[in-house]
Amino acid sequence: MVNIALLSLLAAQAAAPDLGSQGQPFPTGGLNVGSPGGIPIGKLMLMPEIAVVVDGALGYTTLSNGQQELSALVLPQHKVWPLLQEVELAFQATIDPYVRGDVFLTFSPDGVEVEEAYLTTLSLPWGLGVKAGKIYSPFGRTSQLHRHQWTFVDQPLSMQRLVGAEGLGGAGGDVAWLAPLPWFAELHLAYQATAPGFADVLQLTGVARLIQYFDLSDSATLGVGLSWALFQAEAPEQWKNLAGADLYVKFRDPSSRSSVVLQGEIYGRQLGDQTFSRARWGGYGQAVWRLDRSWEVGARYDNAPAPVALAPGTQQTWTALGTYHTSEFFRVRLQPSLVLLPGGQNGFQGLASFEFTIGAHAAHPF
Amino acid sequence: MSHIATALSVAALLASIALPARATVNVVTTTEGLAAIARDVGGDKVKVTALSRGIQDAHFVDANPSLAVRLRNADLLVDVGMDLEIGWLPPLVTQSRNSAIQPGGARRLTAATAVPPLDLPTGPVDRSQGDIHPSGNPHFLSDPRRALQVADAIAAGLGAIDPGDASYYQERLQAFQAKVGAAEKGWRAQLAPFAGRSVITQHKTLTYLLDWAGLKAAGYMEPKPGVAPPPSHVAGLAAIVKSAGVKGVLVENYYDPRSANQLRDLAGVKVIVIPGDVGGTRDASDWVSFVDTLVKALVQAVQ
Repeated sequence: MVNIALLSLLAAQAAAPDLGSQGQPFPTGGLNVGSPGGIPIGKLMLMPEIAVVVDGALGYTTLSNGQQELSALVLPQHKVWPLLQEVELAFQATIDPYVRGDVFLTFSPDGVEVEEAYLTTLSLPWGLGVKAGKIYSPFGRTSQLHRHQWTFVDQPLSMQRLVGAEGLGGAGGDVAWLAPLPWFAELHLAYQATAPGFADVLQLTGVARLIQYFDLSDSATLGVGLSWALFQAEAPEQWKNLAGADLYVKFRDPSSRSSVVLQGEIYGRQLGDQTFSRARWGGYGQAVWRLDRSWEVGARYDNAPAPVALAPGTQQTWTALGTYHTSEFFRVRLQPSLVLLPGGQNGFQGLASFEFTIGAHAAHPF
Repeated sequence: MSHIATALSVAALLASIALPARATVNVVTTTEGLAAIARDVGGDKVKVTALSRGIQDAHFVDANPSLAVRLRNADLLVDVGMDLEIGWLPPLVTQSRNSAIQPGGARRLTAATAVPPLDLPTGPVDRSQGDIHPSGNPHFLSDPRRALQVADAIAAGLGAIDPGDASYYQERLQAFQAKVGAAEKGWRAQLAPFAGRSVITQHKTLTYLLDWAGLKAAGYMEPKPGVAPPPSHVAGLAAIVKSAGVKGVLVENYYDPRSANQLRDLAGVKVIVIPGDVGGTRDASDWVSFVDTLVKALVQAVQ
């Protein structure tokens, strides 16, 4: 909270020259040595945008710990369990006329982590842009999002198990080329050290992604993406290739806050010792209807490989979502899920979540 | 590495300055209102594209990457400023790769820098006050005085980009000033009998226009900027309607009119739906006809 009146007063005092009785400015003396002069609040204008985003929830599940293996969120069975999932601290600012910087730190029960910290170029020629630092890989759609950008309370298990528990990312760089075409077509080439899936071991990774957007009409936008990641696999169980395709369609009457978004992704993963025919596939499809400025409902179907320890086959999850936004900075969500495990082991998971943002957070890309 | 980046940046900067002679200047604006003024001032020397539509609430435009494509080749970006477009313009400008239109860039004109702001906060500022704009109210373009100041800034901006046609832009500016001056006489004549009367508006979108017109806002349908009106607030407004003698409520056509209709049912006021910007209705096809529509709505609201 900034007291604007006080700041204005300080600014006015600083801007007005200190005049003597004859209307002449007093000579600066020893008392003013070290004073920067000018407007005392000027330094505040150089502060980065700072925001804190807090995610908390109550969770309940009928699944045992074993049945929740290879999930980013594991809940105690048959207990209504409170969670503080994450606190994100974001600092964002322009560094100089040529680059901007973004730093996102996350605090969670697992500890403190640099989620992303990168520079973005602002003035390269030929439609080029570079991000460098610790970044999410330009792979897929949902795997690049921060938690508070997720529409649902959790990420699809197919993404967690085939791409990365919390998305794919790591230190490295991403060169993106905006093609000189009448529609939006961007090609990304990235080189990073990533830990895919639930692995702890970093692998050198090359990523390519082509993302295109087409305006179907004044009220409909289509986004189509193709992604490929090539990993340096030094052990049979390590990732070797990862392919992805994503589709996004948004319908929104420009004069309305209401919209419908249809979105889906498929992923294919090949391990170091696998032939392409033995690659594992999965994906999800979701529909989200923003009814008005406050209410949003959605549904998601997810098809993920089941954990090997549990049983071979796939795990299907049907999820419903109800969201209420009091403003752009606070929302509560209710998310029940029906989990269908191999061998008829079915279960239920329910999440009631809240999320709020304080401070100034830069706008997110589409 | 830093030398390579610097060299590439300098090359890009030189390329952006040393533009070859072109038939038209590619102007991109964030709103239709700014686009209309740019067309008036730029005439046939400019090609003007607006990123949002007149039927849209400019606070809530989707940051659709297709808009970044329009920004990529912009010779001049004119935005409103005062955080009106903060939710969608910054990522598009970054995606555009157009270094000259980045904040502070040589081809970026923020219209708010050309006008004196109203509704500057005078006390503590936090979001308990709703979606406030700490830098001032950004809805200034329907005020003829400020629209002329913006037109002046656009003419100067175009003249700097296209010095060969600077005198052409100044002539167009003078013609626009004359057109607005003539229209303003008619508008003031229509409004003169109602000086000092009050209306209710949905959002603080008409603050500058009411100030120019000598009218007042007795209240707002939104209890705080961007906050939906609860029934208790509508009931409170009904009391204000009676005490202040308010006869009309003005609601932009992108807002839900249900609360205003409730107030009409409670207190007997007229609900007048107005365009939010140029192009918001068929009649509001350029800046003068947009303000003409608003003045007629004001007269209807106060009589």
